[in-house]
Amino acid sequence: MRILLVEDDPLLQRSLAATLREENYAVDTANDGEEAIFKADNSGYDLIVLDVMMPKLDGWQVLDHLRPQNPTPVLMLTARDTVRDRVKGLDTGADDYLTKPFDSEELLARIRALIRRNAGQTRSVIEIGPLSLDTATREARVSGTPIPLTAREYALLEYLVLHQGEIVTRTELYEHLFDEEDDSYSRLLDVHVSNLRRKLATDLIETRRGHGYLIS
Amino acid sequence: MTSPTRPSRPFRPFQSLRWRIQAWHALILAAVLIATMFPAVHLARENMIRRIDDEIHRLQIDLMRSLERNLIESGKDEGGGPMFPQALIEHLLKKNTSPDTPVPESFQGTGPGYAYSSIRNTDGDILYQTANAPDGLVFQPVTKHRMPPTKRLVGKRREHAVSIPNGISIVIGRDITPDLDHMRTMTGIFAGLGLTVWLLGLLGGWWLAGRAIRPIQTISSTATRIAEGNSDERIDPSAMDSELAELSHVLNNSFDRLSAAVERQRQFTADASHEFKTPITILLSESQRLLKRDRAPEEYREGLETCRETAERMRRLAESLLILARQEDSPAAELRTPCDLSEVLAETIANHQPLAREKNLTLESDLSPAPCHGDPDALALLAGNLISNALDHGGNTTVTCATTATSIRLTVIDDGPGIPATDLPRIFDRFYRADTARTSSGSTHRGLGLAIAKAVAENHNGTLTASNRPQGGASFELTLPTRAS
Repeated sequence: MRILLVEDDPLLQRSLAATLREENYAVDTANDGEEAIFKADNSGYDLIVLDVMMPKLDGWQVLDHLRPQNPTPVLMLTARDTVRDRVKGLDTGADDYLTKPFDSEELLARIRALIRRNAGQTRSVIEIGPLSLDTATREARVSGTPIPLTAREYALLEYLVLHQGEIVTRTELYEHLFDEEDDSYSRLLDVHVSNLRRKLATDLIETRRGHGYLIS
Repeated sequence: MTSPTRPSRPFRPFQSLRWRIQAWHALILAAVLIATMFPAVHLARENMIRRIDDEIHRLQIDLMRSLERNLIESGKDEGGGPMFPQALIEHLLKKNTSPDTPVPESFQGTGPGYAYSSIRNTDGDILYQTANAPDGLVFQPVTKHRMPPTKRLVGKRREHAVSIPNGISIVIGRDITPDLDHMRTMTGIFAGLGLTVWLLGLLGGWWLAGRAIRPIQTISSTATRIAEGNSDERIDPSAMDSELAELSHVLNNSFDRLSAAVERQRQFTADASHEFKTPITILLSESQRLLKRDRAPEEYREGLETCRETAERMRRLAESLLILARQEDSPAAELRTPCDLSEVLAETIANHQPLAREKNLTLESDLSPAPCHGDPDALALLAGNLISNALDHGGNTTVTCATTATSIRLTVIDDGPGIPATDLPRIFDRFYRADTARTSSGSTHRGLGLAIAKAVAENHNGTLTASNRPQGGASFELTLPTRAS
């Protein structure tokens, strides 16, 4: 999953980005509203974490720009915690709203929930055939046996599972699994796909030549 | 209309304005009434006595005439003449009269208002006496020269005692019971009238005092409501007399100032807590992240460094907030010592040279002596904030200090990009950070620097303004009154 993190405070941005990357998200960052709009318009993200108080354009203006064409889920972060601000945020089109200071675990849980909801899944444990994927603990089990996966492998599997039934193109996978910090070596998609298939030892992941992959 | 939460005040009439007005009013009115009635009654009494005396005088004449007639009838006198002709006196001295001698009707009997008389000679022998004369009469002694008659009250009678030189001494009197009763009735009426007027006056006074007091009660209850939380309400002076309207205005002004101060404080607290939220989030986020898994020492070190930096940032923020609060609340007069702004500036500029060098900028000055009254530390803070602001967001900086007859002018200019027009009106607001000035944690005062500078300026009765120079760059100008003014 690829997340766009929009936060102007450099230290906070660094800390949150690190936190998210350690949770296997690919993270792009933006320092202000203008940069946020530029990146959101030009790339596909699974979620946008959007701070409200920013220079150049604030969070409200970014949200106004995104909606209604861009359906990417948006989680707003802000120090403003009056009920009025919360209502405004949710009514303007944010999907969730967290006030500072917040607990990182809560942020991560809400992100997971938003991504899950966007994929049409209501529970954190998704089962397809013998595969059971727990998105909260990031564990994969096949017929009950836990399968150890690397971060990239899990991310890839989760993306395919959440887009179950859809053909996911390689381009899309490149976009959603890697962020601007990744080097080209780690971007070898085929390596991750074949490793994943080997570990799962099932025929879950299908290849559609010329199109992409899918889990049906 | 006392508030239900306040204990009811104990009834202390001596402390109540209304009661005291009433008491004074009662006293004064009573004094006035008594001062009026008393002389009136006294005067009436005097008149009555005088009238009675006149009557007794006439009675005396009647008696003498009657005795004269008796004398004439007895054939012993020529008749006529003044009141005590010698012949009558001789007649009397010869004791030629008796109790049967006819007397005017008024001298008969002892009915109310009866008159009596008794005539004695120098030896005290009764020459003539009416049948109804009381006992114990006191006679005026007979002297060679005529003495004025003695007039006196004896019990319920009025008596005159007269003496004729070398002749007789007469006591003539009258019972004045009816007159005394009349007097008593009249006094009673006066007293009753006085009391009625007094009571009516009290009632009227009570009503008047109540009306005068009512606006005070209105003010009091309105002020209580305002103090208890209804901070937008104000006293309405329109229905009041000018003195109380003035008081209302004064109170309303105080409430306005109080409201503003409370609002400032509320805003301050909101701003302050707002500013702390991001650093706290950083600490939470970073520490939680570090603790999630085992890491290499280097990772821990980096994370802890972030935490330390953030904590530093919070410390500086707290410090700046305290400085600002102190500047905003302190009565500046306390810290007024004579100082020279140019000396303060020289020192501050020297302190900021390292910063300028670090940024490869120049920091120049052109100072002339500027004696003023103020707090040197606060002024140094003001100057320092302006200078570091110029170095951080402007460029090469120049500080000028000049004095005119009435004021001192300090100017800090830079050759940087200037202040965007949209930011200019709000540049001195607390926590306001212009977009281009979004800084890292290196900023000293975290958005409060200019707000602090402005507070210091105002505390010294000065003004601080910001503008853009025509040739580019920003200019901050501080005006202070000189020491003399």
